[in-house]
Amino acid sequence: MILALLVTTLGFATLIFVQEAASPPLAYGAYYAGTLFVLYLGVRLLLPHSDVLLVPIVTLLTGLGLVMIFRLTYNVEGSQELALTQAVWILIGSGAMFLVVLFFRNYDRLFDYKYLLAIAAVFLIASTFTPLGYSVNGARLWVDLGPVNFQPSEFARIALVIFFAGYLAEKRDVMAATSRTFLGIQLPAIKYFGPVALVWAASLGLLVFEKDLGSSLLFFAVPLLMLYAATGRTAYVLLGGVLFSLGSFVAFLLFEHVQLRVQSWLDPWRDPDGTGFQILQSIFNIADGGLLGTGLGAGFAQTIPEVETDFVFSAIASELGLLGATAVLLAFLAFTYRGIKIALLAEDDASKLLAYGLTAMFAIQTLIIVGGVTKTIPLTGITLPFVSYGGSSVVGNFILTGLLLLVSERAGRREAEGLVYRDDPWGAP
Amino acid sequence: MGGSVNAHLRRTFYLFAAGFAGLVMVLVYWQVYSREALANNPENGFQTQRSVSSPRGLILAGDGETVLAKSVKRPTPTGPVYDRVYPLGEPFANVVGYWSTRYGATGIEIGNNSDLSAIVGEPETLDDLINRATGGPQPGNNVILTLDPELQELAYQELSSSSTGRGAVVALNPKTGEILAMATAPSFDPNQVNENYPELANAPNAPLVDRAAQSLYPPGSIFKVITAAAALEAGVSPQQRFFDSGAYVLPGYTVENFEGKDYGEVTFTRALAYSINVVFAKIAVEIVGAEALTQMALNFGFGDPYDDFPLPVSGSSVNSLPPEQWTTGTLAQTAFGQGEAQTNAFEMAVVAGAVANDGKIMEPRIVREVRSPDGIILNKPTPSVRRQALPPATADTLNVMMQEVVIQGGFTEAQIPGMKVAGKTGTAESGNGPPHSWWITFAPADDPEIAMCVMIENGGRADRSAMPLAASLMKAYLEDGI
Repeated sequence: MILALLVTTLGFATLIFVQEAASPPLAYGAYYAGTLFVLYLGVRLLLPHSDVLLVPIVTLLTGLGLVMIFRLTYNVEGSQELALTQAVWILIGSGAMFLVVLFFRNYDRLFDYKYLLAIAAVFLIASTFTPLGYSVNGARLWVDLGPVNFQPSEFARIALVIFFAGYLAEKRDVMAATSRTFLGIQLPAIKYFGPVALVWAASLGLLVFEKDLGSSLLFFAVPLLMLYAATGRTAYVLLGGVLFSLGSFVAFLLFEHVQLRVQSWLDPWRDPDGTGFQILQSIFNIADGGLLGTGLGAGFAQTIPEVETDFVFSAIASELGLLGATAVLLAFLAFTYRGIKIALLAEDDASKLLAYGLTAMFAIQTLIIVGGVTKTIPLTGITLPFVSYGGSSVVGNFILTGLLLLVSERAGRREAEGLVYRDDPWGAP
Repeated sequence: MGGSVNAHLRRTFYLFAAGFAGLVMVLVYWQVYSREALANNPENGFQTQRSVSSPRGLILAGDGETVLAKSVKRPTPTGPVYDRVYPLGEPFANVVGYWSTRYGATGIEIGNNSDLSAIVGEPETLDDLINRATGGPQPGNNVILTLDPELQELAYQELSSSSTGRGAVVALNPKTGEILAMATAPSFDPNQVNENYPELANAPNAPLVDRAAQSLYPPGSIFKVITAAAALEAGVSPQQRFFDSGAYVLPGYTVENFEGKDYGEVTFTRALAYSINVVFAKIAVEIVGAEALTQMALNFGFGDPYDDFPLPVSGSSVNSLPPEQWTTGTLAQTAFGQGEAQTNAFEMAVVAGAVANDGKIMEPRIVREVRSPDGIILNKPTPSVRRQALPPATADTLNVMMQEVVIQGGFTEAQIPGMKVAGKTGTAESGNGPPHSWWITFAPADDPEIAMCVMIENGGRADRSAMPLAASLMKAYLEDGI
C-alpha cells in the first residue's frame, strides 16, 4: 500500500521537476493519499478477512492514472484542471466503495432483487434515449442530470452482473440439463434460458443502437463467460461465438461507423490524416517508447486525440516503455488473479458467479482497450479501468472492487472460523 | 458442485492470462521489432518534433573553443523549442551545413547527425543514463572539427574578394590528413535558410554548392603532377632531356604550349617548371601509356567518392572511356589535364599532401573528436594511412621537382622566406569564359606542415590569381602561426 503511494509520489515529483510545471496544489495530493489510506484502513477494519491486495492495486492504478492525466493535460488550454477533477472522482469512488462495504455486508439480499436490478439496468441504458441523454463523438452514452453528467452503462453493467449471478446460480442445474437438441447441439429449455436471453438481448440491442461498441462487446462476452462458468457447457460458448460472428457481420453491414472502425484497423495507412490518424499516432507513440520509454514528460502522446481517456495506455507505453507497460499489465493481471481467487474461495454459487462476473468484466475491459490501442483488435471506445480519465468509470470500478471485497470477506471469515478445511483451490478439481 | 464451477473459473483465468501475455507480445512487436521502421515512417513527425524540442550538440572549430553551431532555447506555449544558431555564418556554412525542419540538413549537421542529435542508441555516460531515466533534457554530443578557424575565415574572405568571387580552398595537414581549411565562395548564411532557401537554391551563382568538394572542374596543368609521377615510375629521370618544338602533331589532334611558346631542349624538371604541354604529351604517349597514367590517377584518389568522409565529395574522373579505348589524342590531352579529366580542390589537396608525405595518402578527416556534453571523449579517430599512392623515393623526387617549379618558374610570390615551398600551377581551359586558375602547394617542402589547393573559377592565369591567394594563406598559417 505504501509502495503504491510512493510510486505515485515519485511519478509526480519527476513530472514537476522535469516539466518545470506549476505543481498542482499539494493539498489535493495529500487528500488523495489520505483518502485512499483511510479507505484501506477502513476496509481492513470493517472486513478484516477480505483480500489484502485489491485496494493497494487500485491505489497504484488510480495514482498512475492521475500522474498520466496530469502529465497529458497540465499544459493544454482548457483542460488543466482535468487531473484535479479526476482526483475528486477518485474521492467520490472511494466514498461509494465505502458505502457499499458498509451497507451491503449481506450482499445476498441483492440477489433477491435480481429481476428489479435487471430491469433497472435496461432502463439505465435506455435513459440515454430520453431528452436527458446526449451524444459525445457520435456515441449516445451520456445522461445530463443537472450538476452531474454520467455514463449509465458503467453502472448498468454491475447491476447486470448481479442479475446474471443470482439467476444462473438458481437455475444452473436445470440449465445444464438438456432437453432437446438442434442440429446436434444440445439446447436448454427456453423456459429457463428465456430471461437470460431477454435481458442479454435487450441490453445489447440498446448499446448497439447507442453505438457503444466497447460496452457491447463487454456485455456480450461477460454473460457468456458466466454462463460457461455456471454450466460448463462449451456448447454455449460455441453458440455465442457463432452469434458473435453473425452479429458482428450484421453490424458491419448496417452501421457505417462499424465499417470505419474495421477499416481503420485493417488499413490505417489509407487515410493517415483522417480515419487512421488516431490509431497511427497511438502506434507511433508506443513504438517511440521502446524498451525503457522516453521518460515521463518526454514523449509526444499528446498528439493522440482522446489520449487521457481511451488512449492513456499508449501514453504509458510511450513514456514508460515496454517495461513500464508490462508492469501495468501485470498489475491488471494481479487484480484479475485476486478476483478469480475470491471466486474460487467463495462458498455458494451466487457469490462465486458474482465475483467471477465482476472480475471477468474488469479483465475483458482491460484486454479490449489495450488490444484496441495496440491495433491487436479493432478499436472500441472504452476506458482503461482506474487509469483512464472518466468519473462514471472510476466510480463504477470502485463499486466493483467493493463488491469483490465483500465476497472475499465472507470466505475469509469462514476460513478463519475453521468451518471448512479448504483444499488448495488451484489444485486438481 | 462448487468443485466443477471452480474448474471452469480456473480455465477462463488461464484464458485471461494468455490474453495479457499476448498483449505483451504485441507490445514487444511494436516497441522492439518494428520500432525503427515506424520511427522512420514519413507519417511520423516525432523525429523532427524531438529535434526541435531538445538541444543538439555543439559544433566547434579545431581550437575546441570557437563555436560554429549551437542550439538556443526559446520558450513557446507548448514548451521550449531549440533554434539552431551559427555564430560565424558564411565562411563555415559549406562544412557545418544547416539544420532546417523545412529544408532538411547538410554538412556536418547531417553527416554527424547521430552524434549531434539527442538520444540515439544506448546511453553512453552515467549522466546520460540518469537524464534519460528521469526524462530530463538530453542534449546531443559535441563535434569538434579539425578546421583552423582563422585560416578558414581568411580563406573565405580572400575567395570572396578574388577577381570572380567564385572558388575554393582546401588545406590539410599531409602527415595526419586533418583538414585545416575547406572554404568555398560564394556562400550563404545558414541562419537564414528557412527564409531564403528557394532564393538560394535558384541563385545563378549557386551559393549552396560546395565548390571545394561537390563541383568538378578540368584540372589543367596541375594534373601534370600525376603525369610526372607516372613518368618517374616508368623510368624517366628528372635530368632526362626532351626537345620541345612548340607543337606535337598526332592523328586528329595537335598539342601546343600555353600561349604558343616553344622552349627547345629542356630537362624533365624544367618541363614541369615551365609546364610544357608538348613534352608532357610526348612522354605520356611515347613512354607512359594510357593504362599507367590512369592507374596513377586512381592511386592518387581519382574515382574515389571518399564515402567515409562526413561531407559529400564528388569523385574526380580521368575519362569516361576505359584507357584501352583512348586515342593518342585523348592520352595527350589528359597528360596536361584537359580533355575529359575533372577534379576539385579537395582531391588536388589530397594529391599535394600525398607527394608531401612520401607518397602516403592519409585518411582525410574533418572531425577531430566527439565529446559528450560533460566533456568525455566518445570518439577520437587516429590518423591512418588510406593508401600508398607512389613509392617514397618517387614521391621525394617529385617533391624536389615541385620545389623547382617555384624556383625555376620564378614564382617569387609563392616563396616564403627561409622555407622550401613546392607547388604546381594550373590554368585550365573551361570552355566557358576565362580559364580556371589553380595552384597546389605544400610547405615546408622538407618537413611539410600544410598542403593546399586553391581554385578560382574563371580566375585566369594561375600565377596572378590562385597563387598569390594561396601564398597569403600559407604565410599566415606558417609565419604568423594562426
